[in-house]
Amino acid sequence: MNLEAVVVGAVVGVAVGWLVRRWLAAARRRKEGGCAGGCGCATKLKK
Amino acid sequence: MSAPDTGLLVALVGNPNTGKSTLFNALTGLRQRVGNYPGVTVARKSGTCDLGEGQKVELVDLPGLYSLSAASPDEQVVTDALAGNIAGDRRPDAVLLVVDATNLLRNLFLASQVAELGLPVVLVLNQADVAKEQGLRIDTDLLSRRLGGVPVVLTSAWKGEGVAEIRRALARALAEKTQLARVAWPAEIARALGDVAAAASAGTDRAVSAADAQRLLFDATPSTAERLGWSAAARDKVLRSARDRVRNAGYNPMAAEPLVHYAHLRALLDGVVAEGLGKAGRTAAVDRLLLHRVLGPVLFVGIMLGFFASVFWLAKFPMGWIQSGVDALKLFVAPPLEPYPMLQSLLADGIVGGVGAFLTFLPQILILFLFLGVLEDSGYMARAAFIMDRLFSWCGLNGKSFVPMLSGFACAIPSLLSTRTIEDPKARLATAFVVPFMSCSARFPVYALMCGAFIGPLYGAGWESVVMVAMHCVGLLFAVPTAFVLTRLVLKVKPQPFVLELPRYQLPKPRDVLWRMWQNAAEFVSKAGTVIFAITIVVWALSYFPRDAAVAERVRAASPTLSADALRARIQAAYVEQSYMGRFGKAVQPAFDPLGFDWKITVGVLASFPAREVIVSTLGVTYSVGEGAEADSQALRKAMQDARWPEGPRAGSPIFSLAAVLALMVFFALCSQCGPTVATLAQETGGWRWAALSFGYMTLLAWAVAALVYQVVSRLA
Repeated sequence: MNLEAVVVGAVVGVAVGWLVRRWLAAARRRKEGGCAGGCGCATKLKK
Repeated sequence: MSAPDTGLLVALVGNPNTGKSTLFNALTGLRQRVGNYPGVTVARKSGTCDLGEGQKVELVDLPGLYSLSAASPDEQVVTDALAGNIAGDRRPDAVLLVVDATNLLRNLFLASQVAELGLPVVLVLNQADVAKEQGLRIDTDLLSRRLGGVPVVLTSAWKGEGVAEIRRALARALAEKTQLARVAWPAEIARALGDVAAAASAGTDRAVSAADAQRLLFDATPSTAERLGWSAAARDKVLRSARDRVRNAGYNPMAAEPLVHYAHLRALLDGVVAEGLGKAGRTAAVDRLLLHRVLGPVLFVGIMLGFFASVFWLAKFPMGWIQSGVDALKLFVAPPLEPYPMLQSLLADGIVGGVGAFLTFLPQILILFLFLGVLEDSGYMARAAFIMDRLFSWCGLNGKSFVPMLSGFACAIPSLLSTRTIEDPKARLATAFVVPFMSCSARFPVYALMCGAFIGPLYGAGWESVVMVAMHCVGLLFAVPTAFVLTRLVLKVKPQPFVLELPRYQLPKPRDVLWRMWQNAAEFVSKAGTVIFAITIVVWALSYFPRDAAVAERVRAASPTLSADALRARIQAAYVEQSYMGRFGKAVQPAFDPLGFDWKITVGVLASFPAREVIVSTLGVTYSVGEGAEADSQALRKAMQDARWPEGPRAGSPIFSLAAVLALMVFFALCSQCGPTVATLAQETGGWRWAALSFGYMTLLAWAVAALVYQVVSRLA
């Protein structure tokens, strides 16, 4: 495997990992009753 | 704390920002004492006020509040202080009620609640100078008579005008015990209040006042019941039955109090305030036009058309500069990476092409929020709310639904959270169901891309604005009948009243408007650097791999006469077609064929489920990869304009025809996206049932309407 493939693989891997992590964090925030959207708002409401 | 000389205690009460503290300082001078109310960190400020002829009283400055039903600690202090329920303090002997002379109707709501306490009152109309400047003329004698003979004094506390008159009026009120005229409750509500007072008196072994009975009946919070020591078990049945009585009289128990009070105040103020040619008069004159039953909505649409036309026109040049910057960056990063084609494509086609395509819309977003800020701060947005509220009331939505629906035009997620302010669970559910129909700002880049690339060049700039307004109305067009069916036939929601205060027109403050514009721009850029960036890389990888050298060989063998450039472009296109993304898009495309979507648009639609704007960067990537790393943004736009169906019954005709462009925009206006909205809907409705129903309903509706648009327009065109 050449260096180019390793670099591209790492970039794509980091992007996928970051998106999955973000999705999990959003799910956790929703569970806590807060805003889990990508709207940038900091709403933290409890039911 | 003992009062000097007379031993009389006078409470200074009023709405926040009415100049109450300035007046307190003017009346007490430097003779003030500052402490804390027991148990809470609310300051108790009192001082000695000289009423003349040797008569002195203690004046206590209570925190500002809008209503006696308030629940915050400082507001609770006021209600307790006025009822004489604060340890170490006694009940005031009189109330000095300060109201803003420029907004009597709203300020007198508190006065009409204070009237129920049965205390002598002096009404101070402060900021008389501002009222005069606004062209308001107040007949204080008539107001005094209508209020039951209480002294009414016009003042300008910060100028020190009218302070001596207040001293004289206070002495008179204390001597004559003049009280404010009380509101006349409708018979059924009066009976409900009587039932509550009787039951509470029996349940607590103490005489419960009319004012306390009102708090018990009308407030959602149990603070009054707790103060009186009326147990939940004893009060629940009584309050439920009393509220049912109010409901049977045609009032919502939570809204009955303001409705009756405001009706009383409107009658009371009739002829008291005359509006001249000042600002208030001008506001009323402009409102007669802008809130006209027929002209109002027409002008609203006109203003929106001008709004979007200006957004397009002003953003044209900075968008061109950004596009040139993106192209220059692409040409800068591509050549040194020539020996590494995979890395070159990732950087140039994927990251720069995808994120660049998204960032191009930054000027439009900036100008959009600049204009929105101007409309909001000038006072027009509240008028727009008023115009739209008529529509919402007709379709059976709760008055409180308006705020979530309006904020849904920015983002559905905080709007769904804001439905929590709606008490009725059925009305809340109906509102949450239709909020995703509102055209959120994430749809804007999709419309802007299609209008800028196809509608404008084909039909002129004017049509760009028309289509833009139409797309913002499409969601509303379907939300209204959906809400109608849901509220009237499925959930059977009871209508509830809603009070909306219309602010005076004013010049927006540049600092506030620019700050809001900056915040939104920062959010847009941060999204480009995070979510869009990551999704772009994933979309690039899916449209780049696998790379089988045999594909290039096959194209070369099939097209021996093509020029080097044309051959290169055809090879790139063949690679994208056999990529994971290409294969997936082609497999799903038949489902979107009736809508006129090719496999690239299909991929864009599916990839935009996490966030709507992703379609812009996805099309940027798929067309950029197809065109090669050197393609500039003009070439991309041209590539989309020149894209033709390669085979089938539409072979040779443009993919982005007017019908397909309109169908794509209509699909985005109606379909259920994005993912976080669906998840938030599930969270707010307490399960996935309504979220799944919303997703299914909106997606099917979007598909059906977009298919109809495509089929009809393609036949007509």
